[in-house]
Amino acid sequence: MSGAEASARGGSGDSSETGAHRVRAEIVESERLPGEHHRLLLKAQRIADEAAPGQFVHVWCHPPEEVDRPPSAALLRRPYSISRIRPPDGLEILLRVRGAGGRALASTPEGQGLDIIGPLGNGFRIRESLRTAVIVAGGIGLAPVPFLVSALTSRLVRVVLLVGASYDAGIPYRVERSGAEGATLPGLAALGAEVAFVGEAMEGKLVSELLEERLGEFDAQGDEIMAIGPRAMLKRVAEIAGGRLPVQVSLEERMACGVGACRSCVVPSTGGGYKTVCRDGPVFYADEIDWERLNP
Amino acid sequence: MTGPELTAKIGAMTMKNPVMVASGVFGYGDEFKGLADYGELGGLVLKTITREPRAGNPPACRTAETPAGMVNAIGLENIGLDAFLRDKLPGALEYGTNIIASIAGDTAADFAECARALDGTDVAAIEINISCPNVKKGGMAFGVDREASAEVVSAVRGATEKPVIAKLTPNVTDIASIAFACEKAGADAISCTNTFSAMVIDVERRCPLLAAGTGGLSGPAIRPAAVFRVYQVAHSVEVPVIGMGGIWNANDALEFILAGASAVAVGTALYADPAAGNRILKGLCDYLEEHDVSSIGNLIGAVGFPGRAPRR
Repeated sequence: MSGAEASARGGSGDSSETGAHRVRAEIVESERLPGEHHRLLLKAQRIADEAAPGQFVHVWCHPPEEVDRPPSAALLRRPYSISRIRPPDGLEILLRVRGAGGRALASTPEGQGLDIIGPLGNGFRIRESLRTAVIVAGGIGLAPVPFLVSALTSRLVRVVLLVGASYDAGIPYRVERSGAEGATLPGLAALGAEVAFVGEAMEGKLVSELLEERLGEFDAQGDEIMAIGPRAMLKRVAEIAGGRLPVQVSLEERMACGVGACRSCVVPSTGGGYKTVCRDGPVFYADEIDWERLNP
Repeated sequence: MTGPELTAKIGAMTMKNPVMVASGVFGYGDEFKGLADYGELGGLVLKTITREPRAGNPPACRTAETPAGMVNAIGLENIGLDAFLRDKLPGALEYGTNIIASIAGDTAADFAECARALDGTDVAAIEINISCPNVKKGGMAFGVDREASAEVVSAVRGATEKPVIAKLTPNVTDIASIAFACEKAGADAISCTNTFSAMVIDVERRCPLLAAGTGGLSGPAIRPAAVFRVYQVAHSVEVPVIGMGGIWNANDALEFILAGASAVAVGTALYADPAAGNRILKGLCDYLEEHDVSSIGNLIGAVGFPGRAPRR
């Protein structure tokens, strides 16, 4: 084993108590997508095998063999939702090419390894009796959606996917507008979801308004809402639907450690105190969060 | 063939090697479990606890990344002494290496009460955090004042037989005099240093990025400043100094040791590389072998100034 591999494996231990593994994952595919997005397909068998939708990987943005040298930018790892599982051993992440970390990752050539830790956090809970999952996603909140949709449809859960964005180019999928059905995203419909898309620029509507219109179609017993996106959207979804259906939300926050140690990424929890997004979340039931105290 | 001698002594605490994990970054020990062989290191300093649980500073946000560093303002969020003793310490002791508890409080009596409760446990030493820049009372308010620092150390000294380590703040005019006061008050060692007071401003919102307004800077950005603080402190006290501040690799650790540190602690680097301590330990061994140094002790404070007397 080379020194770099030994380092990327983290000495003699490489699996945390939470079940996360530190591995050197090869970049199999690297693709630029619309809206400053970038897709990486990573070969990481153990993480791919064990991951649940909503969980994330914590990624060192520089070459694994350079972990001995501190970079001046992107010193900390970056958390990325697992976007998709690609059997037999692949997982995809979707990143925004904006900051130093995203730029470094997007420019790493295929064939190179990445030092990643995962799967981390708690993902979406998919209960046995679930009939319909209404996924409400906005903007970069789309990242974990393909994995979530696939996990749901493989369990024969009906998936209604409501997606919102400010404008079409802001999301990493092609928008199709044909006929009276409204806008859809063929890339996500292909996974078995009933997709409705609203762009603020074109349809002049927020995804939370779309949910409000359609909420009556869903049933408090067998159906559940799963929301991913900006906090204002999550809060509105919790307000609209919280009393009627169970609502799960996936939260984002700045992280440092990714394992619950540093207490950087905390959010206010119902009944006082804080929960960590990285370890207690990132997915919570909406009634676990104190929305009044949660910063916008 | 036996390798070089790595043993480090901090008061009555003997460590198999001088590489430690610094307080705060490592939580209570359970969070990182399994991501590296932490039992291989000389000592693990757990997150600071206080007598009562604390919620810490408001979130959004508590941490900001900066060039070669990060600014944090967690505000000593912790589960409190009782929950620590009951729920966290037993698991941490399973690492099979020295576990050091870190304590803070609003008054010297608070510190003493924590120390007394820890005295009957298997912690190897107690670190006194009189240097947290992120709380209004206690914390750095003690560490910037000679008499207040000595008062806290003295109170803890009277409450425990365990080795007592005073962790100092660099946010003072004369850190050497504070180290000296802590030594006189009974500290067995000095940890040097905690974070540097810092601020990050969001120019779009025209307000501080951290919810607490200010925070403490850590990481490679502070390393040269921390090395110099260690150098100053090591020349003013007889007790061992534990050096920390932006250590990322073995070369960094050696700088601290040559400046006078008997042991080193890794902090921020752990977030990038959970096995940073193990990597540094291996690098130290390699250095000693390559340079034919039989004992790490031979390097402590061994920095030389060819041709002139150093400035202190």
